[in-house]
Amino acid sequence: MKRIKNFAIALLIIIMMIQILGHINGDNLTYNEASQSYYITKGSQETSSLNLVTGIYLDYRLFDSFFEASILLVVVTGIAFMAIKDEDLL
Amino acid sequence: MTYSKILITISRILLPFLLLFGIYIIVNGDISVGGGFQGGVILATSYLMYFFIKGAHPFNITKMLKIDKYLFVSLPLVILIGFITTGHFFTNMFPMDYPYAVRRIYLLILNLLIGAKVAVGFVSLFIIFIEEGNS
Repeated sequence: MKRIKNFAIALLIIIMMIQILGHINGDNLTYNEASQSYYITKGSQETSSLNLVTGIYLDYRLFDSFFEASILLVVVTGIAFMAIKDEDLL
Repeated sequence: MTYSKILITISRILLPFLLLFGIYIIVNGDISVGGGFQGGVILATSYLMYFFIKGAHPFNITKMLKIDKYLFVSLPLVILIGFITTGHFFTNMFPMDYPYAVRRIYLLILNLLIGAKVAVGFVSLFIIFIEEGNS
């Protein structure tokens, strides 16, 4: 009885996966290309960075990269606090 | 603690080139692929390679955490210079009509700061793991 139940669940999952795969095709999706075309046309002269990734994370998204650096600091000090039991370390 | 002879020899050959490559990636972050984070991780990996060669690590964890905190405090100070000069938050400190070579200084400073911060952070992570493994 249990095998039949497991088999039914597996079959159900496979059918659902096939359904999902059938729905994922790139033709029906419409992307908003406004920001993409803006970055490509104006990013180089506004940020004066030839590497567009650096231009985005140091100028347009500087707020995010600042808190990304803060997350790294918190991770390092947290691991140090958990691993080394030293009171005057932090 | 001694490692395999092959690993030590390859590390000895690769270590100076890896240091140079990390600095190259950080400094050229705004004109080619790479940036602060990637170069910092490469520098931290070169520290791990130094540990493979020597079997000991020279840096102190307390000092590294202190340097990490100071670098993190210096990051918003550099960012806030842009607010004083241009009037907008979180942007380049030089106005937009300045030449490219001058505006590049800002990207260079921030890339160096982020690279140093990531390198110091990952080096202190490696130190923590090494000391945890030894004890």
